[in-house]
Amino acid sequence: MSVINFDFRNQVIKHNASLSYCYQCSTCSGGCPVALLTNGEYNPRKIIEEAILGLQDKLIGVQDPNPWLCSTCQKCVELCPQKVELTEIFTLIKNKCFEEGKYPVAFHAQGQAVLENGIAIPYSKAVLSRREKLGLPIITTAPIEEIKTLLRETNFEQNIIKREAE
Amino acid sequence: MSYDLFLGCVIPARLPFLEASSRKVFEKLGIKLNDVEGFSCCPDPTGIEQIDHTTWLTLGARNLSLCRNNGGVISFCSGCVETLKGVNYFINKDLTTKKEINRYLQKVGKVYEGKTEVKHFAEVLYENLENIKKNVEKPLEGFKVAVHYGCHYLRPSEIIEWDDPFEPITIDEIIKALGAESVEYDLKMECCGNPVEKSDRDLSLLMIDNKLKAIENAGANCVAVVCPACYQQYEFNQRELNKRNNTEYNLPIFYLSELVGLAFGFSPEEMGLNFHRIKPNELFESIHF
Repeated sequence: MSVINFDFRNQVIKHNASLSYCYQCSTCSGGCPVALLTNGEYNPRKIIEEAILGLQDKLIGVQDPNPWLCSTCQKCVELCPQKVELTEIFTLIKNKCFEEGKYPVAFHAQGQAVLENGIAIPYSKAVLSRREKLGLPIITTAPIEEIKTLLRETNFEQNIIKREAE
Repeated sequence: MSYDLFLGCVIPARLPFLEASSRKVFEKLGIKLNDVEGFSCCPDPTGIEQIDHTTWLTLGARNLSLCRNNGGVISFCSGCVETLKGVNYFINKDLTTKKEINRYLQKVGKVYEGKTEVKHFAEVLYENLENIKKNVEKPLEGFKVAVHYGCHYLRPSEIIEWDDPFEPITIDEIIKALGAESVEYDLKMECCGNPVEKSDRDLSLLMIDNKLKAIENAGANCVAVVCPACYQQYEFNQRELNKRNNTEYNLPIFYLSELVGLAFGFSPEEMGLNFHRIKPNELFESIHF
């Protein structure tokens, strides 16, 4: 059974007031490429409905529908007749999943890479020699201590490490 | 005319040949690109933003704080462009956000006011369309191009503020200016499926399979993209799909800069086209290019 959590709903609305404009017309789901291919298993309208109702355990706990299936194509946002900022709301929900350590491993891997290198893809020896062959310059990326300082300030480092410990 | 150049991660560290063709094309057009030291990941709007919006804004704002060029900053990657335009959007929309982000930046001695203009390289190419036409030495006759705009080049339109989010024209116009044909196809405006790979590989493959099918049915002989994530999704997965489904995809995928470069008379070798997984040689032979 799902429990309505008003605090949670208010948190979402405080973050993005457009949530309360939704009248559940389903234009978002009609235009969603993932909803089409998963036979509605992924369904943006339903995520918004659960957010309006404050169903925190559904959204963050069991994650049904799975918010990580959103392709971030942003069609729903463009199509919504009420200008609900759906993907911003989905981002908030996924950010809360992240804080709880409940998110797909590929996102964790990217987070780790940025935490360790400041960039998502470190330069391999093969790529460096390919760059040289192509006459491309050497790239000086961000000082890692500076990036780590920022990632500590935003609590990102702590959340990544927490997941590693699990 | 000059811009600061934001390279991001995927192009310089995995697909450097896309950087090579892009740099060559801009040089030929007389547009100077300044390399800037000290950028981090943009960060990825389909990755880092999804797990931590504030971190995404903070690193993005730090990157923009390093840009000094009055013309603004340009990127060859739609993801980077969406992030950097997104930072400007969120920082300028809400003063509390701007203050919060700058409170973090202050810890590393930086500040960002939200004033640096951000442009996609295809945006700048379109603005220089007449200049492009003048530089075409070898028109791309026989190229039947399926243009894939990709999502983040266009949407959310409130952030991107460029072209039409559902009926775009800019890349088609550039393709036509090169002497190539832009082939209309079903699913043209659909997502390539790359971001979903992080959570569901089968679904991601289904999305690209549908697109490739539609492109082949329309009679296109190659695809043009403007985003390295789309590029990888189209190029790296054709072999996997062939293995799984007994299909015979062998469709060359070009970066827009490569097509412009070919039309400008650069050789495939100097642009590093030999680094493509699906070699375009067969296509070149079949259309006597």
